[in-house]
Amino acid sequence: MSVRYRVRWTKEGRTRFVSARDQSSIWERAIRRADLPIAYSEGFTPHARVSFPDALPVGVASTGEYAELTFAAPISADHDLARLSDTLPDGMDILTYTEVPAGAPKLASLLRATLWELVWPPVDATALTTLLGRRCSTLLVSTSHEVVRHRHDGDRTLDVRPAVVELAVAPGPDPDGSGTRTTLRAVLLNDAPTIRPADLLAALSEKDIAPPALVRRVAQGAPEAGGVVEALSGGVEPVRPGVVAEAA
Amino acid sequence: MLGAADDVRTDLLLPARVDRATCRGGVGAPTPPTAREALEPLLVDVRKPAQYVGGEHNMVVKDWGSTDVRWLLCYPDTYEVGQPNQGIQILYEILNGRPTTLAERAYAPWMDLEERMRARGIPTFSLERHSPLWAFDVFAVTLPHELGHTNLLNLLDLGGVALRSSDRDEQDPIVLVGGHAAFNPEPLAPFIDAAVMGDGEEVVIEIDDVVRAAKRDGRTRAELLRALAHVEGVYVPSLYEARYTDDGRLARTVPVGAGLPTLVPKRTVQDLEEWPYPRRQIVPMTETVHERFSVEIFRGCTRGCRFCQAGMITRPVRERRPETVQRLVEEGVADTGFEEVGLLSLSSADHSAIAPIARSLGDTYEGTVTSLSLPSTRVDAFNVTLSNELTRNGRRSGLTFAPEAGSERMRAVINKMVSEEDLLRTAEVAFSQGWRQIKLYFMVGLPTETDEDVLAIADLGIAVYRIARAHGKANKVTLSVGGFVPKPHTPFQWAPQDTPEEIRRKLTLIRQRIRTHDGIKLRTNDPEEGVIEGLLARGDRRVAEVVERAWRLGARFDGWHEVPTLPLWHQALADTGVELAWYSQRQRDEDEVLPWDHLDSGLEKGWLWEDWEDARRAVQLDDCRWSPCYDCGVCPGLDLVHDTGYQPGALLPVIPNAPKDLGGSSDGALPTAAERYAAGQVTR
Repeated sequence: MSVRYRVRWTKEGRTRFVSARDQSSIWERAIRRADLPIAYSEGFTPHARVSFPDALPVGVASTGEYAELTFAAPISADHDLARLSDTLPDGMDILTYTEVPAGAPKLASLLRATLWELVWPPVDATALTTLLGRRCSTLLVSTSHEVVRHRHDGDRTLDVRPAVVELAVAPGPDPDGSGTRTTLRAVLLNDAPTIRPADLLAALSEKDIAPPALVRRVAQGAPEAGGVVEALSGGVEPVRPGVVAEAA
Repeated sequence: MLGAADDVRTDLLLPARVDRATCRGGVGAPTPPTAREALEPLLVDVRKPAQYVGGEHNMVVKDWGSTDVRWLLCYPDTYEVGQPNQGIQILYEILNGRPTTLAERAYAPWMDLEERMRARGIPTFSLERHSPLWAFDVFAVTLPHELGHTNLLNLLDLGGVALRSSDRDEQDPIVLVGGHAAFNPEPLAPFIDAAVMGDGEEVVIEIDDVVRAAKRDGRTRAELLRALAHVEGVYVPSLYEARYTDDGRLARTVPVGAGLPTLVPKRTVQDLEEWPYPRRQIVPMTETVHERFSVEIFRGCTRGCRFCQAGMITRPVRERRPETVQRLVEEGVADTGFEEVGLLSLSSADHSAIAPIARSLGDTYEGTVTSLSLPSTRVDAFNVTLSNELTRNGRRSGLTFAPEAGSERMRAVINKMVSEEDLLRTAEVAFSQGWRQIKLYFMVGLPTETDEDVLAIADLGIAVYRIARAHGKANKVTLSVGGFVPKPHTPFQWAPQDTPEEIRRKLTLIRQRIRTHDGIKLRTNDPEEGVIEGLLARGDRRVAEVVERAWRLGARFDGWHEVPTLPLWHQALADTGVELAWYSQRQRDEDEVLPWDHLDSGLEKGWLWEDWEDARRAVQLDDCRWSPCYDCGVCPGLDLVHDTGYQPGALLPVIPNAPKDLGGSSDGALPTAAERYAAGQVTR
């Protein structure tokens, strides 16, 4: 009797440079180290039944990754998933989990929107906050904003605006205490065409804003005024840090 | 542009000499600056960035200030190629096991990152804490072959360390090399401080102690180098002088000053059981060439293949106990989560207890997803039976064998004791038992080779392919043919190397002969690739100028097909006036002094010459593990004779009688290597 679990996990620090392709073997090996009864696919080269709903661009940090694990035998979830979290590389941690009842909707269908965070190094904080704030307001009142995404296989023009639910800019203290960092948070819809933080930045910058030092996928779930309702916990992740959004 | 961080770091590469000195201090030294924050923004624009971040399971990060000798261990190629190297992992574990020693790892950045590092002032760094190379006491580089030489120079330069030993001072790390190519380090002599020959397990501890004492006592760099030269197995090139005769040949390489050994011996670990490493193997977070838990089941090889440097310089044979192998595998698989186990050695089927080892591991992992592999390069039907045992979980894709030469005569010359009959019977057994593909390794350009010998490679391939087809239309045969490169410390060290043109002509002969057989795949390397390897393998100190010039012209990653560096080397040869043909295509005389004559692999030069003469008369030599000693020179002085195995019966019952048909079914008993030898199944 197989059992399925969904987990929310992090990809922080060094592990944010791990590619989606390498991620699977990292999880498979961690599961083997934790000695959990993971189910395997049939076939010539069996694979552990661990699936990830979508790929995160290499270099992007995340506290909003998800995975679905199928076990061939019951596990003691609290204890066993904590052990799995421990043996995953530093930076990859399991935050929450839910058991998946039969007939539950697909995980990907629960991840309709993403809360993104873009953080700049502690330089030009006041000017940058002002500039970003102005550009965000302009974008929010527009009905359409096209950007060109450059890729090795050719350029593609995308309309950023339909994906944008909410934007917020705020200066915040640098964790090293060495100045003020600028933070942009955005709730973007995941529906096609998928808009990535780089596309959003292309819409906000007129070649006058440097790339952020860090981009983070904070959480995914249902879009809501003021943030996203996180898919597994049902808690609200606010777009304005420190402000608990009220349901619209 | 708002929000842009500073572009160029000035503190990482060229901190004031006084800062370097404090980071290089003993216990209590400040942790050097980390390159991590400067590096991370560059990683989104380069190939395979995860290779640069470290953070793998079993990585060890020790506190900088709590240690007083700090090593940076390096494989001078990409992480993807270098990470699986067992030597680095053994030393990493041994050194980090010492309370006041720290060891971190470094690999060569690919050129996309190197370019960005140079633009931003980021030095060669460790994966553990992204510390700069210059902050370490010892930069220890393994050279498994000659094609990492330019990368070594590049890593030094990128790391803020003077290229030449003579330009370094107390603030620079000691640059050590080890590995097989360290048995002729002369082409690197000006750039390295010391070369370590042979097994590293024991000597690395002695070196660590010498460095610690020198730091504690405030010794000068010159004093430290002299102390290192007195450690057995350590060769300090700057304390030796190469003298030449008027016609340009080497006259002698002699120690400068008193008290240094005229012949530097290699190190030999006598009992592998005392060194059960690496146990806590690194689990990479990105793809590498071998992702598996590897256990070295024995070290050394006495089959006596005359082309094989590894077999010659790693003698004698020392085995690990079967129960130790079993324990290391079980603990290692549980600790790492690897899906694959590799049983490593130069000829794994030759472990005297390989049958019980394979059976026991087969039992342990039957019905699991854990797979077992044995690099099976020897040709005999026993290897098929053994591979069946290791693949009970169902993967019977391909087997690899290495007859190395096509004709019986040529195999007698190289002392590869396998007959055509053996090979065909092996193929018959393999395909009849469900294997789908056989890959055969060969070389061309071997001494005394004729076109007839070359064409025999094609004919053998065709004969094996007929057998393959008889067992299934989809079955495949691959012929992998490389050009032979003569190596130091082998009977072929006196032999001329074929020119690339000649190798190309021979490959064309094979290609034409197999043309009508579509199911045979021929894999060859670019014949040019052996040119640099050949020059560096048997080069002397004068070749060092070529290495530096080639590097300055831009040569790196000489072993990569993607990077065609040969034109740079030809330019470097022209610029320095060094004649390639003199080093590579010339047959040496018996009395010629060789650049590695002062470095002792244990083999008597007289014995090597006799074996070279035997080779040219196509006289074969038995494996001395199971036949009388022929005095190659290695064993005297060691407290051991060839280790022909612990009692395998201690763990599992020994097979009492070697079955006559060794191609047998997978449920048949497996004989030990010694029994097979006695039954006459292993040799001709």
